[in-house]
Amino acid sequence: MAAHTIRTFAVLRSPAWLLLPVGLLYGALALLPIGVILRLGLTDGGAPLRSVLRSPLLLRAAENTVVISLLTTIFAVLLGALLAVAVWRAGPALRSLLWACILLPFWTGVLIKNFAWASLLQDNGVVNALLLGLGLTDHPLTLLHTRFAVIVGMVHYVLPYAVFPIFTALRAIDPLLERAARSLGAAPRWVVWWVILPLIVPGISNAALLVFIVSCGFFITPVILGAPSDMMIANLIDYYVHDVVDFDAAGALSLLILAAIAGLIVAQQVLPREGQHGAA
Amino acid sequence: MARRDAVGRLALYGACAPVLAFLLLPSLVIVPMALTKGQMIQFPPIWISVHSFTDYLGDPQWFDSTVLSFQVAALAVAIGCVTGSAAAVALHGRRFPGKGLVTGAIMAPIVVPLVVFALGGYLVFARLHMVGGWVAIGLLHGMLVTPYVFISVQTSLQAALNPLLVRSARSLGAGRLSVLRHVVWPAIRPGVLAGGVLGFAVSFDEVVVALFLQGPQTVTLPVRMFTAIQFELTPKVAASASLFLALSVLVLLAQGVAMRRRGAA
Repeated sequence: MAAHTIRTFAVLRSPAWLLLPVGLLYGALALLPIGVILRLGLTDGGAPLRSVLRSPLLLRAAENTVVISLLTTIFAVLLGALLAVAVWRAGPALRSLLWACILLPFWTGVLIKNFAWASLLQDNGVVNALLLGLGLTDHPLTLLHTRFAVIVGMVHYVLPYAVFPIFTALRAIDPLLERAARSLGAAPRWVVWWVILPLIVPGISNAALLVFIVSCGFFITPVILGAPSDMMIANLIDYYVHDVVDFDAAGALSLLILAAIAGLIVAQQVLPREGQHGAA
Repeated sequence: MARRDAVGRLALYGACAPVLAFLLLPSLVIVPMALTKGQMIQFPPIWISVHSFTDYLGDPQWFDSTVLSFQVAALAVAIGCVTGSAAAVALHGRRFPGKGLVTGAIMAPIVVPLVVFALGGYLVFARLHMVGGWVAIGLLHGMLVTPYVFISVQTSLQAALNPLLVRSARSLGAGRLSVLRHVVWPAIRPGVLAGGVLGFAVSFDEVVVALFLQGPQTVTLPVRMFTAIQFELTPKVAASASLFLALSVLVLLAQGVAMRRRGAA
């Protein structure tokens, strides 16, 4: 960049000290704590890290986390793509209505939603009443405190996170592309398959990664909707802090989570960006 | 061709209807469940009584927790509005290598699992003897609120503040503070308001950090509910959940208003 351009920006830009408050807050409450966690997890040449890695509890929690998060991601991305396409195809009035339906649960806290699901899925809840009423079962099914309930609660929570990136990718598609394909004789389903779908692949992969990352950190849902055997990795940290009172192990576990999240975020940066092919 | 389009559209919305029902169902059942006459949550509820609401507000512990949650959220919003808005203004119209990284760092609290911040916050505040005080929860929530205010202010800056405006104000003799007060502030005000409301909801709902930093006198409403839900599903919890539901409707309205104003600008 030429020297005079830099000077132009120097006139335009706001003062850099405006970054100071956020720097101080994050420094004190994110960087400093992560430093403390690093020190705890790596004391005695990483002994806590080694003992956590050998613990059978970690294997169980890690397996639960990966399986539950993957299933959640698959369902959320499928349903999210459907909703994103519906919003994209809708007229202005219907579009506002659809957004309202998607955003109301988005701004409702996880605790409230999980409480509602617990009430819906309990033995004398709405879902069982419906199944009994329809004659699909003759006795109430055990739905609450199962892995099924955890996945229902998690898909419900992360669904909006899946809609946003896919919708952004759809919106970036130049409408002329579709018309061009149609005028060249492509049948509608082939337009979807060969024109639309390749253009939204980056949006879908972004949605999947975001949903997976968010799912891996779930804490509340496995406790409220799951059985004790559905414990996820965040619950294991809580277990080490509040039940075993072993901060070194909790710190080591946090390091593992941070490393995993960092890896996923790097993967997200490497993947193709949204709007790369479209009008952006 | 047009008829085939219509059929496709019908199929699309037909497929969406159950998904929308799935999204809305939990929000729709909370208030009716709170209105039961019974002592437990059940379906169908025994209508109609408001005893759950009087139980909830009449219980001093639950009432104190509600007040505490408001207090914590107010501090968190105050902090988040300062840090988030200042950061958004600082980055507006600036181009430098690593800007994406700075933005990513500011947004990080959304993707990093809360339990990591909760543990880290506990370790730091324990050294300062601040665990069990509401200020510690409010400070940490302030960090969780920051990205929401940042995004919201960034959006209104992009819509309403041409960097050239700042330059012309400066060239006409306005000082830096004067530019902030008369040029930047009017442009970011809707964003700060909308971000503040979102941030309030984020802090008011938060369980994990508040669970780790709680003391005997500082049990926030979500932590109290979380503990209660693990034992039994009572109408009292549904009554307090109704309060949260009202808050999320408020957030949605605030967002709608902010979007409309942005559209008009």
